[in-house]
Amino acid sequence: MPLTASISLKNVTVEFDQGFICNKINWTIQPDQHWLVCGSNGSGKSALAAILTGAGDIESGVIRGLPRRIGVVSFEAQSELIEAERRKDDADIMDVIAEGTPVAEIISAVCKDQSLADELCQKFGLVPLLDRAFRKLSTGETRKVMLIRALTCNPQLLILDEPFEGLDVDSLSALQQHLAAVSESIPVVIVLNRLDQCPDFITHVAYVNDGELTHQVKRADTEAYQQLHQLLHLKTADLSIPPADPDTSIPALDPAQPLVRVTGAAIRYGDVVIFDQLDWTINAGQHWQLSGPNGSGKTALLSLITGDHPQCYVNDIFVFGFIRGSGESIWQIKQFIGYVSTALQWEYTVGTNLRNVIISGFYDSIGLYSKYTDHQRDIADQWLAVLGMESRADQPFTSQSYGDQRLLLIARAMVKHPPLLILDEPCLGLDDMNRQRVLALIELICQRSTTTVLYVNHHADDKISGIEHYLALENNHPV
Amino acid sequence: MSNNYFNSLSLREQLEQLGKCRFMHLAEFTDGVAALKGKKMVVIGCGAQGLNQGLNLRDSGLDVSYTLRAEAIADKRQSWKNATENGFTVGTYEELIPTADVVLNLTPDKQHTAVVNAVMPLMKKGACLSYSHGFNIVEEGMKVRDDLTVIMVAPKCPGSEVRAEYVRGFGVPTLIAVHEDNDPNGEGLALAKAYAVGTGGHKAGVLMSSFIAEVKSDLMGEQTILCGMLQTGSLLCFDKMIEEGIDAGYASKLIQYGWETVTEALKYGGVTNMMDRLSNPAKIKAFDLAEEMKDIMRPLYNKHQDDIMTGKFSETMMADWANDDKELLGWRADTAESAYEKTAAADVEISEQEYFDNGILMVAMVKAGVELAFETMTSAGIIADSAYYESLHETPLIANTIARKKLYEMNSTISDTAEYGCYLYNHACVPLLGDFMKNIKSDVIGAGMQLNHTGVDNARLIEVNEAIRSHPVEAIGATLRGHMSDMKKIV
Repeated sequence: MPLTASISLKNVTVEFDQGFICNKINWTIQPDQHWLVCGSNGSGKSALAAILTGAGDIESGVIRGLPRRIGVVSFEAQSELIEAERRKDDADIMDVIAEGTPVAEIISAVCKDQSLADELCQKFGLVPLLDRAFRKLSTGETRKVMLIRALTCNPQLLILDEPFEGLDVDSLSALQQHLAAVSESIPVVIVLNRLDQCPDFITHVAYVNDGELTHQVKRADTEAYQQLHQLLHLKTADLSIPPADPDTSIPALDPAQPLVRVTGAAIRYGDVVIFDQLDWTINAGQHWQLSGPNGSGKTALLSLITGDHPQCYVNDIFVFGFIRGSGESIWQIKQFIGYVSTALQWEYTVGTNLRNVIISGFYDSIGLYSKYTDHQRDIADQWLAVLGMESRADQPFTSQSYGDQRLLLIARAMVKHPPLLILDEPCLGLDDMNRQRVLALIELICQRSTTTVLYVNHHADDKISGIEHYLALENNHPV
Repeated sequence: MSNNYFNSLSLREQLEQLGKCRFMHLAEFTDGVAALKGKKMVVIGCGAQGLNQGLNLRDSGLDVSYTLRAEAIADKRQSWKNATENGFTVGTYEELIPTADVVLNLTPDKQHTAVVNAVMPLMKKGACLSYSHGFNIVEEGMKVRDDLTVIMVAPKCPGSEVRAEYVRGFGVPTLIAVHEDNDPNGEGLALAKAYAVGTGGHKAGVLMSSFIAEVKSDLMGEQTILCGMLQTGSLLCFDKMIEEGIDAGYASKLIQYGWETVTEALKYGGVTNMMDRLSNPAKIKAFDLAEEMKDIMRPLYNKHQDDIMTGKFSETMMADWANDDKELLGWRADTAESAYEKTAAADVEISEQEYFDNGILMVAMVKAGVELAFETMTSAGIIADSAYYESLHETPLIANTIARKKLYEMNSTISDTAEYGCYLYNHACVPLLGDFMKNIKSDVIGAGMQLNHTGVDNARLIEVNEAIRSHPVEAIGATLRGHMSDMKKIV
């Protein structure tokens, strides 16, 4: 049954966990309208959309007309589901290795339209993964599962927080086509970081700042729309990189040797081959971009280099002067690497403050377990200033917005000026303004001769000017 | 065949071994993994402990492989998959044990005699055999070849946490010991320390103990306060709430998650902090209930400690092992039939504070059990540090298991020694508290005190606070928790 009456929020104030407040929201969504919600990182745009899903505690005001069935996609919902799967894992107390719920079951748990689900699985390339455990999927793959759940629950309203993030090109166009079709019968609310991805069917744009809905603009009003675009594209101020710490110097490397040399590498799970016969040499000063569709093994390849993948011990890998498996420790490898990824962000759940998160980059630890020096503390504070977060140094990391957490982890990765900086989709989940800041920062790093950058991404438009070497993974092989 | 090792020692030697437990300073680990560098470590068993310890040791630059029984390899069982998918060499006992410098026995206690008898003849001269629990040596009296070094390295957390903390750059608290009868080259301590460093344990704190202190305190803790008291408390509190007309689903939830919630407070700030979470009148009430229960239960705690010390407990349990676990499995089946186990937790919201306010009796039971276990252990010659770890420190871990699994599954997942012992405790403790429970009403379990005013007499409050704070478990707890947070900067 389609939505017939409007959804209205009158003077609504909602308090979320960690004390974030959406203040005095007045907003009406007509059944034939489609909204784009935007704003900078931490502005509360995701929170605004989440109010429609029943999140937070309503302090005052009235919400009317919310439908019963709402399809929701967001990083929060995604990580909640992953967390729920993790909680089901009793490996620690049962002394067995649990597999987790298969993808097909995760979908069918909420699915009201199996033929649509089948069609979408086909289009998103998920069919071969239906029997695999949900929590074994890559970031992009879990996102697709979330989308299918939202689209097939027979929704009367769709709320999609960054639905296009992390999708490969084919899946992205399949999704856009499908949304264009369903938007004829269901109102859609999309939270987006990039206005340039705004679908054609969007009729209205909401701009959120500091927990308040400050602008509501009709798409047809071109002048107002343009202003909003500029507001989001605020050009960054002068950026400079804080210095390294002279007291915690990284051992010098032999300049005649490459940083990384992978020879005939393969990753296999049982009979499944993720990739094989892969040769790759990274020389100091050569910046690389690595790309490939979801599940092609990009992150697995990186984790062979970082030592996080257990099969690094059965491959021929030379990193930073060590042949892996010759008695070196993982910490001897990690000291040369700065690393950022979505998975790292999900794992970084320890209770510590912003400053300590950055200092932990000196020790390659998640959380801080060592006594740091005053000098390291100063450097961390300089990084916080670059990020515009100096006043929040003592706040808990876990209470920061998704985008702010990412910026902090990038600073953590860069803080020791590592010989190799690995950025695994560093802009995933960031808004335009912060994306610009991150890209500018990466370009600055690329220009430095001491740090070699290895950059992984989907978005063709996130080009880094200093990068000249490319490796693409496709069909289990480098191309 | 069993030949109790502890009983073969003189009283002087027994007391000396029981009294061993020392928190080691980080500076004692500056040699890192050097003592194990270049040595071949072979792990027996690839369950969660075996796999995760092996992953850590390899990432610390050590040479690790796995040995499994020939059938497990031929059938490609889960243990074989765990090891091979992670890129480890796997071989039979005959293939790998003769090459090993250190053999890590990470199988369950019950299999130890068979496993050790199978691998010992294959081990090379002067090699090291490592345990993670001392039962086989102390209670079964396993005699290990004179030329072999015997050590114990026991991370005090589940296997998955051992790995997760290492990956973060930290570790989990770990207990190490050297079996002095088997330290022919005097290298046992160096090997145990290097092993602890290899798993990351030195960053979270290492306790230097003895096989005997570990076994006698571990058995006591697990069967009394940890698994026993929480089990008895769950059954008694649930039945009382039903009798008092509390909704069964609510009662079930209050118990299932209540232990975890109240012992979380215990973990952070000891009995003092747990009691401080109650209102003043409730605190005084809980204090009085705990004092009354301690008087009633003291003979039972003494009996458990005595039976552990004399070896009577392990003898009884091993007789049941020999009898195909008949008693154990029967008792386990009984747990599944209890009213509490059969009642699902209701879908009602209980706030964190409500677990304290409506669970005053549960708080009192935790306090009574922790203090009694601690008092009994220390009066039997076990040093306060050991007694703290095996009572207060581990209570939140078991409470967490009950929150996830209730009683039946908790019993199935804890060690076989813990399970057998906690049934003995429960069978004795339920009737023992019978008269006491007759006077219990819903004000202390299920409904809260519902007072209109919460005033108390100053003198009485001071007296109660003083008694709570001056218990010896609070003094050692403050010291040990202090060590931990010095290392793990929880900011």
